[in-house]
Parts: sequence; C-alpha cells; structure tokens
Amino acid sequence: MSDTARILTGIPASPGIVVGRARVVSDFGDLQAAFRLLYTDQERQAEVRRFQEAVEQAQADLTRLRDRVAAEFPEHTHLLELHLLILKDQMLYDEPLRLIREENLNAEWALHRAYERVRELFSRIEDPYIRGRIQDVESVYRRLMGILIGQSPRRLIPPGEEVILVARDLSPAETTQMAGSGVVGFITERGGRTSHTAILAQSFEIPAVVGVDNAIREIAPGEEIILDGLSGRVILHPDVEVLERYRRRQEEFAAFREEVTTTAAEPATTPDGFATRVMANIELPEEVHLVGRYGADGVGLYRTEFLFLRLRHLPTEEELFEDYRKVVAALAPRLVTIRTLDIGGDKFLHRTDYVPEMNPALGLRAIRFCLKEKDIFRRQLRAILRASAFGRVRVMFPLISSVREVREARALIEEVKAELRREGLPFDEEMPVGAMIEVPAAVTLCQMLAPEVDFFSIGTNDLIQYALAIDRGNKQVAAMYQPLHPAVLRMVLQVVTAAGVSGVPVAMCGEMAGDPLHLPILLGLGVSELSMNPLAIPVIKRVIRSITLAEAQTMASRVLEMVSVEEINAYASRFLKERFPEIYRFGSALAGI
Amino acid sequence: MQEKSHLVEREVWVENRLGIHARPATQILNLARQFEAEILLEKEGLVANARELLAVLALDCPQGTRLVVRAQGADARDAAHAMVQLFARKFGET
Repeated sequence: MSDTARILTGIPASPGIVVGRARVVSDFGDLQAAFRLLYTDQERQAEVRRFQEAVEQAQADLTRLRDRVAAEFPEHTHLLELHLLILKDQMLYDEPLRLIREENLNAEWALHRAYERVRELFSRIEDPYIRGRIQDVESVYRRLMGILIGQSPRRLIPPGEEVILVARDLSPAETTQMAGSGVVGFITERGGRTSHTAILAQSFEIPAVVGVDNAIREIAPGEEIILDGLSGRVILHPDVEVLERYRRRQEEFAAFREEVTTTAAEPATTPDGFATRVMANIELPEEVHLVGRYGADGVGLYRTEFLFLRLRHLPTEEELFEDYRKVVAALAPRLVTIRTLDIGGDKFLHRTDYVPEMNPALGLRAIRFCLKEKDIFRRQLRAILRASAFGRVRVMFPLISSVREVREARALIEEVKAELRREGLPFDEEMPVGAMIEVPAAVTLCQMLAPEVDFFSIGTNDLIQYALAIDRGNKQVAAMYQPLHPAVLRMVLQVVTAAGVSGVPVAMCGEMAGDPLHLPILLGLGVSELSMNPLAIPVIKRVIRSITLAEAQTMASRVLEMVSVEEINAYASRFLKERFPEIYRFGSALAGI
Repeated sequence: MQEKSHLVEREVWVENRLGIHARPATQILNLARQFEAEILLEKEGLVANARELLAVLALDCPQGTRLVVRAQGADARDAAHAMVQLFARKFGET
C-alpha cells in the first residue's frame, strides 16, 4: 500500500470490489431550505410553477426508477408505486399549492409546513404499522425538498455516472432505489451484515461495506475511492498502482463469480459418487429468490426471529403462518427447515414481564424460553405445521441440551397436531423433527438423542462458542474462535458417528459449513448436508464436485492426528491454495457473510 | 337512472390482519378514481376522502375498525357497492 492511501475498515455486507467517486449523502437535517414570504402575484405564480415542476421531476425520476426496478426485481416496486401516489396526494400536493397562493409562502416553506402537518397527523395514529408509513411520506418530502433547493436525488444519483454512496444509514426503501441506478456500491456508518439493507444489497449484487465509523467525515465528496466488499475495506486516496491492483482484482472476482454461478444449480456430488445436499440459510421471505439463483437444494435453516422482532408485538398465529406459508409454497417441492424461536424474552417481551439476565448466552433463550412460554411456542408450532401442508417442511429445536427437552417439545407438537386434526386444518403428518446440536452436552448425549429425532443439525456458531468458551463479540478473545480447533472437529466426528449408528442424517448450518477452507475436512468427517449463506453455495458446490470422498477422508484422518489448531489451519489453507487457487482468494469472503 | 345528488351509505368492517396500511389504502384510492361519485370514509365522526391516500391512512384503521362508506353522485350506488366488495375481499389479504 502506498504512503498516501488511507484505509477505513468496516463489516463486509455484500461481496464485490468497485472503484468510483464518492457521493456523500448528508443527513436530512442538513438540507438548508430558505423560507421566505411572497409579495406579488408574479412571485406567487412563479413559486406555484417551481413547485409543480419539482413534483414533475420527482415523478419522472420515480417512474424511471420504478421501470428499471420492475424489469429486474418486480417484487420490489411497490414502495416506488406508493411514493408516486404520495407525491400527488392532496396533503402533500394540493395543500402546499394552497399555502403558496393563499398564505404567501415560498415553495420550500409551503412544502415543509404541509409535511409537518402530515407528520403531526400520523404521530397520533395508534397502529404502529400504519404509523410507520410516515417514513414513506418523509422519503417523498426529502426528494421534493432536495429538488427544490437544488440537491435533487437525480444529481445525487446521476444515471450513467457510477457513484459509491456514502451515508450514515440507508433505509430498505433507499436501498431498493439503487437497483438500476448509477450506484455501484455503498458505505454506511450504521448497520450489520444481517441488516435488511445488507440483505437487499446482496440480492441486488451491489458491493457494500457497513459499520464504517466516521465514513461521512472521512470521505470527501467526489473523491475516487475503492470499496472492497470482500474484506470490508474502503481505500481513500489510492495511487495509480493500488487502483490498478484493485481493478484487476475486481475483474477476477467478477469472472470467478460468473463462472461458479452458472453451474450452481447442478447437484453437488463428489467424483466418486458421494451425494451431498447444499442448502441455504435464510431469514426473510424476500430472500426466497436467492435460493434458486444460487442453486440451493433447499433451505437448511430458516430463522424465525425476524417477525418477532419486526412487529414489536407478539405475532399472531396468522401472521406467522402467512410468512411460513409464503416461503414454503414458493420453494416447494424443495425442503424448508424451520428453526423454532432462537431468542430470549429480552427481545420482545414487555419490560415488566422480563427479568434481565447477567449472561443471556447461558440464559433463558431458544428451546428453554419456548418450553417456559408454552403459549408462544404452541402458536409457532401451529403456524409451522399449517405451513407444512403447502410444501416440504421439517422443524428443528435450537439449543437442545437434554433428552427431556426433545421429548417435551415433541409432545407439544403431538398436542398441536391433535388440535389441528379436530379443527380440520391440513398439515403434514410425517413432518420430520430435528434437534440442533450446539451445546456440548448435546454432543456428549447424541447417542441418546438420536433415537428421539429424525435428524440432527449442528449449529457451529454456538457450538464453537460454548465448546471453546469464546465470545466472538469480545475483541480480546475473538481470534481464539477457531472452527478447526481439534476439540470442535472431534465433536463433529462424535455426532456423525453416533447418528450413523441410528441412521439419523446429520446436517450442519453454521458459518463453518459455508467456508471452502473447512469443507474437505467436514466431508471427510461424514457431514453430507451443509447449509449456508446463499452467496456461498456456488463455491461450495464447486469444491464438492472437484474432490473425491476418499481424498476428503484422508484429509480428515490426517487432521484428527494433529494436536494444534495452527497446524490444522495451515494444512487446510495449503490444500485450498494448491487445489483451488481462485477459491482460496475469493471464496472465504463469500462464505463469511 | 340514478338522480344526481344520490347519497348511498354502507357500513364496512376492516377484516384483514394488518388493517388499512399502504396497500389497502392504494386499492381504495384506485377504486375511488374509477367513479364519478365522491366517496367518503367515516370513522367515529372523522372523515377521509377515499381518493386521498394519506387521509385514508391517517384515519388509523387497524383490523376490527368499523367504517361508514358514504358515496354521493350519479354512480353512487355502484361506487358504494364496489367499496363494500373491496372490504369484504379483505383487499386480497388475510
């Protein structure tokens, strides 16, 4: 790296590399609109025209955006349709015109006053979902105000000119507008890799880095910068040499991605005939199309927490059912594995009903919480069972640590099934039920757990954390979080062996499953179903199709003899680097998201 | 033939789970635009013109809300009927 270059680090949210000019979006509060009174008819007429022209421009911009988005992502156009309607609404169109004509306000002032009235009106709405639509009104207001004061979004995102958007935060609506615009990447100060905005960026294949501290202050508007969505880095003031290097890397990554994606849908079988299933982890119904796009054989982990968190109230059975049915029906006949609620009460119970915990990771969460709050659990189980009538569903319980928990949960499923039968509601009588293996106790007990379930799914994120006693969020020990730790590998082997005796299939659904570095060893240990971030699937399938099971088994038995994780890591890296040099360079970045 | 100042009133209930959020409000607006009659929605004395999206949203109608549809104009009867149907269909939602 040259002397002049400066690097900002954030969280890689959507993979890819892009070079472009920064377009720094200042906060809403920075829009400096001048308010003034009008004195003559001539002035009033001019302001009326100016306001109408601004609305026309906004309408043209939004229509063009909508048409572009409609061509590629028809499911994302409804927000833009809504904005078009708000633009001509009586309260935001007729009212400002009246204020200009009758109250002698200039266009900015009239618009501001009209918007404030809408905001005031909406603040009194009790229903949180309906009240939340003020965000869309605000978005339209900002667009119009921007045009009026000469900072139009059209200039903000000029068509044709490629810009990297830099903002404090971006709403899902704003992210949606980027599809088909000149935005080739974005950087935000807020957000995590699983935020809604990051997920949309992945689905639009726009590289993004989020969680970059002080991005707005550090990045100068108009400056040429490099955004590396693979490593989460933003490079400022790059010299010619650095630019050249990243441009090459950008081309290579694009070619790599293109190549692996074209063959993604084909089955993942090793050359010596070992058939595996490569599945997707998803969280939102919007992610369903990624399953097909990246060639997943089904969903190995459907996280169900989002609806509970989004609604801020306890979702009804119908609300849960609707979400599950949508996903299950869209993916049928592919298998969808639904994980029951994996959070504690702190996330959505009222403060008075919830006792704060010193150590939530070891506290009342997941299956423990569900077995205590049986009404919530029962509601979710009913919704899952009802959704099972629309495709192929299996269900799994997180954080199982005893046989008793499995039996209790299964008994509840039987009760719920009996209810549904009485009510005449259809469901899959044979819906498989599984246990997640993510607590060391479950590993030790897996021989006894196996006869109680239809499948196991090893949740590596939690298992590694509990087995090695490492909190990944703690920077002082995060480096000790090591998926290839000898203890972890032995645990995986133990689960696979015990399950094999009972004929219970074993899946793996943590981040470890999606990393090409780990894959040969996992295959060699006997893991035949892997579930991961959809983006990682093409890479993983390609590795599976290129190595034989015999080779993977040799590797696995070799690493089982090694005593240190450093030795194992070096061995796995060497193998990947020699056999799959391009995957060695890019593949892990896809997996880590 | 309906007379010019014909006034029709109908009672409707919001039955869909999410209430009158953006999409149902849009459907109400699009339907109202197909008729000449003026269509008002009344909730406990508060009134919104069915052609005005934000006003309809601001009426704050979650599931279970009772509304009176009031249509006035040449095609008032058809307009009120169509609006009743739209509510009965739960805006195509659940």
